[in-house]
Amino acid sequence: MLGDFGVGKTSLVARFVRSTFSDKYLTTVGVKVDSKEVARAEREPVKLVLWDIAGRNALDTVSANYLRGAAALLLVADGTREASLAAALDLLMQSRALLPDALAVLAVNKFDLLERWEVGAPTLAQLRRLLPVFETSAATGTGVEPAFAAIAAGLAP
Amino acid sequence: MIDLPALPLSVRRRLRELLLEQAHPLVLSFAGQWELCGVHGDAAWYGIDAGSAAERLDALRDLFVGLELDQQQVLPFVELANGRSVHLHLIPDAGDFHLLLLDAESARTAQREQQQLANEAVLAGHAKGKAIDALKHIRNELERQRSQLAEADALKGALIATLSHEFRTPLTAAFGRVRLLEQSAAADPALQRELLALRRSLVHLQVLAENLLEYGRGEAGGLLNPGAVDLEALAADCRAMIEPLAMAKGLDLRVLPAAAAAPPPQLDELRLRQILVNLLSNAVRYTAQGEVSLALRWDGRELEAEVADTGIGIAPEFQARIFQPFNAGGQSGSRGAGLGLSIVRRLVEQMHGTLALDSAPGRGSRFTLRLPGAAAASASASAPGQGRLHGRAYVVDDDPDIAQLLELALVDLGLQVRCFDAAPVAIEAALAAPPDLLVLDMRLPGLSGPEAVYALRSRGCRSPVLMLSAHATAAARESALHAGADRYLTKPVDFAQFARVVREMLG
Repeated sequence: MLGDFGVGKTSLVARFVRSTFSDKYLTTVGVKVDSKEVARAEREPVKLVLWDIAGRNALDTVSANYLRGAAALLLVADGTREASLAAALDLLMQSRALLPDALAVLAVNKFDLLERWEVGAPTLAQLRRLLPVFETSAATGTGVEPAFAAIAAGLAP
Repeated sequence: MIDLPALPLSVRRRLRELLLEQAHPLVLSFAGQWELCGVHGDAAWYGIDAGSAAERLDALRDLFVGLELDQQQVLPFVELANGRSVHLHLIPDAGDFHLLLLDAESARTAQREQQQLANEAVLAGHAKGKAIDALKHIRNELERQRSQLAEADALKGALIATLSHEFRTPLTAAFGRVRLLEQSAAADPALQRELLALRRSLVHLQVLAENLLEYGRGEAGGLLNPGAVDLEALAADCRAMIEPLAMAKGLDLRVLPAAAAAPPPQLDELRLRQILVNLLSNAVRYTAQGEVSLALRWDGRELEAEVADTGIGIAPEFQARIFQPFNAGGQSGSRGAGLGLSIVRRLVEQMHGTLALDSAPGRGSRFTLRLPGAAAASASASAPGQGRLHGRAYVVDDDPDIAQLLELALVDLGLQVRCFDAAPVAIEAALAAPPDLLVLDMRLPGLSGPEAVYALRSRGCRSPVLMLSAHATAAARESALHAGADRYLTKPVDFAQFARVVREMLG
C-alpha cells in the first residue's frame, strides 16, 4: 500500500480485512502487515499479504526497504487532495526502479466525500489508459473489494 | 565501538540488564525453511505464546514472503498482531536463520506523536486553503449581486429623479401664472376661489415632486449645502404654501417665526423647507377641524421647529411605522404617496438632527424637530465617510492566505497593496519608499513584528503601523505599541473593525 499520508491506506486495509472503519486519523509508523485470502474466478484463491506502509509523498530508503519482494502495489490517493494523486504517481514511478514487474492498481479514496473532490473525472479517464483505477471509500466500502480483487486476479498463478 | 569484555563485570551486568529491560530481545531460530528449533527470550511479550505460536509464526513468515532467507534483512517498526512495534532482524546462519526481535514500542510512540502533529498540520493547512477559496467565491458572488442591485437601484433613482425634475419646470410656470391671475382677479371672489383650488393642487404636486426627487437620490443623499437661513422669510414661505390647503378645510394656520437673532443659523435651507412643508401638509391632511401651527425657535446653537395639529392623532403602535416609505396606513382617511414622513426622517438624519413625535388618537400630533446649527452642519459636510481611501499599504505576513485576505480588504478600501512574507525585505522597501500604512504580523520568521517596527522607527520611518497578533494578551499589545506600532488588533481579524481602524489611521 503506497501513498501520501492521510489518504486512507490503513483504513482501506481495515475495511478490506476486518470490515471496520474509523474516521479518526492515526498516522502509521513503519509498517503493519495483514493478510486475507481472496477467491478468484476459476482459479485457486490467493492469500494477499498486505504491507500497510507509513505514508510518504516520495520513496525514502526506509519505505524502499519495505517494498522488497512485493508482487503488487496498491497506490492510494485522496480524491479531495489533488496533490496526493501526483504523489501516488510519483511513488509509482520511483518504485518501478525497484519492482519493474509488480502489478500496479490505483485506488482514489474518499469517494464518499465526492463533493469535495479536487481530482477531476477526465484525469482519472486518462489514468485508466495506464493502469486499473478504482474510486474507493474506506468509509462506505465502495470500490474496496474490487480494487483488491483486481490485484488478486492479476497475480500469477 | 565499545570493547565489552574489557568492561568491569558490574558494568557489563548493568548493561545487560538495561538491554534486556528496554529492548526485550527475542531470538527465534529456524532450521531450513521455517522449522522452529529454538526460542530465546520473552516470546509472550510479543504475543507469541505457546498456544498460538503456529499462527503467530505464520504471521512472521508473511513478513518475509518474496525475500531471500540467506541474506541479512532489517525491517524497522513492524507492528505485530498484538499491536506491539518491533525492529525485526533476519540473521542467516549456514542454511538456517534466526529472527531477532527488538522492542520498538516507545520509539514508535514518540515518532507517531511527532508525525501525527506534522501530518495534521499539513491536512489542516489544506482544509484552510479550501475554506478561504470558498469564502472568496462567496465574496465574489455577493459582490456581483451587490453591483447588479446597485445598478438597478441607480437606474430606478435616475428615473425618479428625471421624472420629478421634469415636473419642476412646468410647476414653476404654473405657479407664476396663478400669481398673475390672482392679481388681476382681485375683485372677482368666484374666480379667486377657483384660483385657490388650483393653487392647492399645484402645492400637492410640488410637494410630491420634491419628495420623489429626494427619494430618487437614495439613502445617502447628496452633500449638505449649508448657508445662512432667514427664519422669518422661511416662515412666510411656509405660510404661503400651506395657507391655501388650510383655508380649504377651514383650519386656522398659526405660524410663529423665531425671534430675530444674529447670527442666523447655518443650515441647508432647501432641505429644512422640505421637512417643514412635509410636516405641515401632513398636519393639514389629517386634521378635520381646529388648527395647524408652526413655531420656530433658534438659540444660536440649535434650531427647534414644532409642527402641531388638532387632528386625528396617531396610535402608539403606528408611530414607528409612519416613517417607513409608502406606509400611510397608520392614519385613516390618508391620501398621498406615503413618502412624506420617510423623506422627513431621511432629511433629518442627513442634517444630524432629531425628530420627536408626541401624539395620541383624538388628541392631535406634535412633531418636534431639532437641528444643530452652523458648526455641526459644516462639520457634517466634511465628516469622514465611507469613501475610498488613497495611498499605498504594505502587508507583512508569512501566511500567504492571511496576507491575501488582508490585501483584499485593503484593496477594497481603495489602497494599493504590496505583500511581503518576511520583515527584512519589507523594512528595506519601507525605508526606500515609506508606505501610507504598514500592516505587520506580530510573529514573523526571523525578525519579529515588534523588532521590525523598532528597526523602522529607529531608522526614521514614520509610516503608521498596524500590528496584528494571534496573542490577545495585554503583554503582546504592550510589546507591539512599545516597539512603535500605532495600533494593535488581534487575530482572527474582524474585517469590519480592521476597515474602521485603517480608516481612522489614514483619516
